[in-house]
Amino acid sequence: MYILKNSLISIIRNKGRNILIGIIILAIAASSTVTLAILNTANNLVKNYEEAHDIIATIAFNREQLSQKFQGGEDARKSNIEAFNNIEAFTLDDVKKYGESEYLKDYYYQYATSLNSDTLTKATDSFEYEVEDRQTTTSSSSTTTGGNADMGKGPGGMQGGERHTITNNNTTTVITKSKEIFQSARNLTGDFELDGYSSYDAMNDFVSGTYQIQEGEMFTDFSALECVVSSELATLNNITVGSTITLKNPNTQATYDFIVKGIYKDNSTNSEDSAKMYSPSANKIITGSGVIENLVAQDSTLVTNITPYFILKNEEAIEPFSAELKEKGLNEYYAVSTNLEELETATQSIENVKTFATTFLIITLIIASIVLFVINMINIRERKYEIGVFRTIGVSKFKLTIQFVLELLIVSIIMLCIGAICGAFLAKPIGNSLLQNEITASQEANEKISNNFGKGQDGHMGGPMEPRGTIQVEKIDKIEAIVDFTVIAELLGIGILLTIISSLAAMISIQRFSPLTILKERT
Amino acid sequence: MEILKLEDVGYRYKDAPKDKYVFKNINYGFEQGKMYAIRGKSGSGKTTLLSLITGLEKCTEGKVIYDGKDLRKMNLDRYRNTDIGIVFQSYNLLPGLTAIENIILSMDVSHVKVKNKKEKALELMKSVGLTEEHANRKILKLSGGEQQRIAIARSLSYQPKIIIADEPTGNLDKDTENDILKIFKHLAKKENKCVIIVTHSQNVCDEVDVIYELGKN
Repeated sequence: MYILKNSLISIIRNKGRNILIGIIILAIAASSTVTLAILNTANNLVKNYEEAHDIIATIAFNREQLSQKFQGGEDARKSNIEAFNNIEAFTLDDVKKYGESEYLKDYYYQYATSLNSDTLTKATDSFEYEVEDRQTTTSSSSTTTGGNADMGKGPGGMQGGERHTITNNNTTTVITKSKEIFQSARNLTGDFELDGYSSYDAMNDFVSGTYQIQEGEMFTDFSALECVVSSELATLNNITVGSTITLKNPNTQATYDFIVKGIYKDNSTNSEDSAKMYSPSANKIITGSGVIENLVAQDSTLVTNITPYFILKNEEAIEPFSAELKEKGLNEYYAVSTNLEELETATQSIENVKTFATTFLIITLIIASIVLFVINMINIRERKYEIGVFRTIGVSKFKLTIQFVLELLIVSIIMLCIGAICGAFLAKPIGNSLLQNEITASQEANEKISNNFGKGQDGHMGGPMEPRGTIQVEKIDKIEAIVDFTVIAELLGIGILLTIISSLAAMISIQRFSPLTILKERT
Repeated sequence: MEILKLEDVGYRYKDAPKDKYVFKNINYGFEQGKMYAIRGKSGSGKTTLLSLITGLEKCTEGKVIYDGKDLRKMNLDRYRNTDIGIVFQSYNLLPGLTAIENIILSMDVSHVKVKNKKEKALELMKSVGLTEEHANRKILKLSGGEQQRIAIARSLSYQPKIIIADEPTGNLDKDTENDILKIFKHLAKKENKCVIIVTHSQNVCDEVDVIYELGKN
């Protein structure tokens, strides 16, 4: 107890020295608070980003693997294609099996097929018409007349047609009817693509903003015959929100009535599509994956294509998950690919701020330690006599060391508290200026995703299908709580560490000093 | 019964040649209730001997025995703040503290169980001829004689069996020297302390019971 009392008396007695030490500690505390607060906020931003942006793995076709088995030459074309056809694709059941993994948080998928329609006009820059060719032959002579409709013939091709022969007296007329396609130089497929998604997360084009709901909103039931259609298809067919469109199974001719819940706009600007009249998504009808599953259940011959998305728990799960898929039977021609590199690139700027802050903190602490150490050395030299007296009246070296450390610690704690308050005021403007751009970008991204689904700026998707991008990002719209308990705890830790380092001078000197020598010098 | 005994004590500085001793084969005995003087010329090792007795230095040869125990095996800090009181020629008081604070500090260090330390300190001050008026003065506001009295009061604050003083009257005038010697005499005769005075003053030697002459073994 007397050690504490002596420390307090000594602090008051040596006001000048302690004010000097206090000013240095105050400067260190204020700059450390700012740095720690920036680090803390940067860590939170990165953490929030990582929480909001999962590591997503998908299964991609390993073309390189296949090309190694390709043979060269004209004759090998068939065998190459056969080799490609023989590669066993994964099914929806496979995807569900792969999804049951300890390395995953969740998974979703896009399930696509194509249907026809008798009532909808496909958005295309080609169309088909019928042509008739007559050839008349007489017994003595032969003339051939050919007639086409008045349509201009574009770059197209004949398709196999019907042939009728009429014989009248000596005249035989052969009428050949065929269908001809009027089209642009780039042929298109003729079906409506029906894309079924298992959740909003799977709708990457909407999350990224490539597609954006213009009218109505995204459906909420992923198994109901509800859909959203492109604005181009809607314009072409006078479709409005609430309309019913009928699609037809090309195999069974069964029809399905879909209620249009929304109309989306394709914002993509792909230079490759510049020669085309409609966007690639013009004939794309978006619905829930449950709908496709029902269609496939009714007609297993429907050609489907599935794209899975596996949300990994962490970075370390990538390798074991890939190995697990191989064990579960994923074909060797498929490989797991992730968005890890994109995520790392996205957080690079904030990581740079962190690196800067860390470097600044280390330099500050090193300089502060040296300055405090030197001041302590001078202080100890000035107080040698005092040390000598204490030792001669029986104060142990240990207790004396504690007293000196305590003196510095008391000054440090008081100044750390004042420094933390100063730092809190400084941290806000400095931290804001450094991080504001990041925050704005993050907020805009969230609002944009919400808009893309037609939910408005403050809209919530509701239910389990709410996209991660909108619900898991903790909104950081101000840095009010930048100096929190973590920062204070870290600051105290740094303060105590600095005190101990700078007190080393006192500790070593007290161990070395011979009290009698000190007192003799004084005498 | 000797409270303190020096047995074949010798001392050599660490960096000195092996045969270059400050002193060697010192065999002194000290009893309670008596006053002793250790006398010698300058450089004879008087202060060094004091530092060996107080445990501030260690003997090169021989041993110091306190109350039957070898000093080397004792806690020397405890020994200095409980069993032996030291009075220096230059007083060695803490100038930042007042007179009474210096005495109370010594009580704190030795963990003396006193109900009212301030009262006890004032009592000690009175016993060495100081008044309450001196108590709250800073050390540097006191005269040499007053400071020496405070140093003696401080050394008595934890009731040690031995009081050892290094040239306690060296800086004082004749009258003050006599006053201080009276205090030491009182401590030895009335309070049964063993008082050891390191000195070269004949006046001091005249007052003591036993004189040990360093350099004349």
